[in-house]
Amino acid sequence: MTPRALAGIAVAWVLAVGAGFLALTIYKLAPAPAAAVAQVWPRDARVARARDRATLVLFAHPRCACTRATIAELAELMARYHDRLEARVLFLAPRGAAADFTATDLWSSAGRIPGVTVARDEGGEEAARFGVATSGEVALYDASGKLAFHGGITPARGHEGDSFGRRRIAALLEGGRADRNDAPVFGCALQDPEPTRLAHADQISNKQEER
Amino acid sequence: MSVAVKALEMTRQATEAIVKRAETRFEAHRQEIFRSTDRMFAGLLIAQWLGGIAFAFFFSPYAWAGKVKTVHAHVWIAIFLGGLITSLPVMLAWKRPGETMTRHVIAVAQMLWSALLIHLTGGRIETHFHVFGSLALLAFYRDWPVLITGMTTIAVDHFLRGVLWPESVYGIPNPEWWRFLEHAGWVIFCVSFLVMSCRKSMRDMQVMAERGAELEALSENHWRKSSVVDRAATDAGAR
Repeated sequence: MTPRALAGIAVAWVLAVGAGFLALTIYKLAPAPAAAVAQVWPRDARVARARDRATLVLFAHPRCACTRATIAELAELMARYHDRLEARVLFLAPRGAAADFTATDLWSSAGRIPGVTVARDEGGEEAARFGVATSGEVALYDASGKLAFHGGITPARGHEGDSFGRRRIAALLEGGRADRNDAPVFGCALQDPEPTRLAHADQISNKQEER
Repeated sequence: MSVAVKALEMTRQATEAIVKRAETRFEAHRQEIFRSTDRMFAGLLIAQWLGGIAFAFFFSPYAWAGKVKTVHAHVWIAIFLGGLITSLPVMLAWKRPGETMTRHVIAVAQMLWSALLIHLTGGRIETHFHVFGSLALLAFYRDWPVLITGMTTIAVDHFLRGVLWPESVYGIPNPEWWRFLEHAGWVIFCVSFLVMSCRKSMRDMQVMAERGAELEALSENHWRKSSVVDRAATDAGAR
């Protein structure tokens, strides 16, 4: 192989690797669509709200790898603000999934954080009540039940580290104000993809017709 | 030609021969180090690739939407981007071991692996130690420009990510303007001592090569003399 050909291969390699990292960065920074989170604590919510302090609700998919970073960030928040905050982590238990669907390392990691209560969200009903559709979405309600913040607490998809979300929650808990009350959220969808939901709906309607 | 001039000329020739021999020995030793380090890195790069794939399969095998799963992007990234990073340096280490380009491409690839592992492990702070471990491993070449290539790769990566995605480098979304100096300072701190160590190591190798060449010349001289004496003794015995 001539030195010129070798140099050409090296340049092509650098460009291909650069393109790969660029694609990876774009993927990691692509947030989920913004959610219309309930502005006040839903009356029919099954999860209990603290009356004397803020309550943070984290909706999580028990098998979403990206949510591992969210749990780590939640642990950071709770270590710092455990006296001003109570947290609930609701793990999705989809209808028709195996009983042990939520028995994952994420469940046990979240359960080990002091000040955090972990529960199953059967069929994603609670997530629907709060208007949340993405794993890793956090909703922070003040003691009166008003929404103070919603969004993600990681800087990117499945990436630990300081983030706008974590900073805004910290600012709200410390001084009651933040520059914004939302942040991008990165994680798996809590609902089945559209075609599956449609197929499922078809199956149900076919069964009803058969009856 | 007087005896003194003849003796001087012979000394000059002998010295030149020793210097040439020392250079040959030094170069052979250097090549041996370059080739063995190339082989070590080829193995390490392949191990990192397999390790990255195994990590992705174990910790982030699937992306989910409700109860529907698809293979997680990390798995494809580990297989294809990891494979791409590994491919050229391993090919060069196999086909062109010991060449300057091979070890510089290896330096770039090793530092890129640091970046990829940081992504695959979700930005864990502990994975950032891979950068400093890799710089120490690159010092095995004892060729300080390789460290500069490694350091430049980190600098370019930090600069681009600092612009596009500062949290992934500095851990905070809006770092102070001087924050990059703190990061660069630690890398320069590490690299400057490694460069000093490489240069010292090269000087030691040169001294070793010179001493070896002198010993070789002495022993050859001794062998020549003794063989002349042996031959004379054998001739005298035959008579």
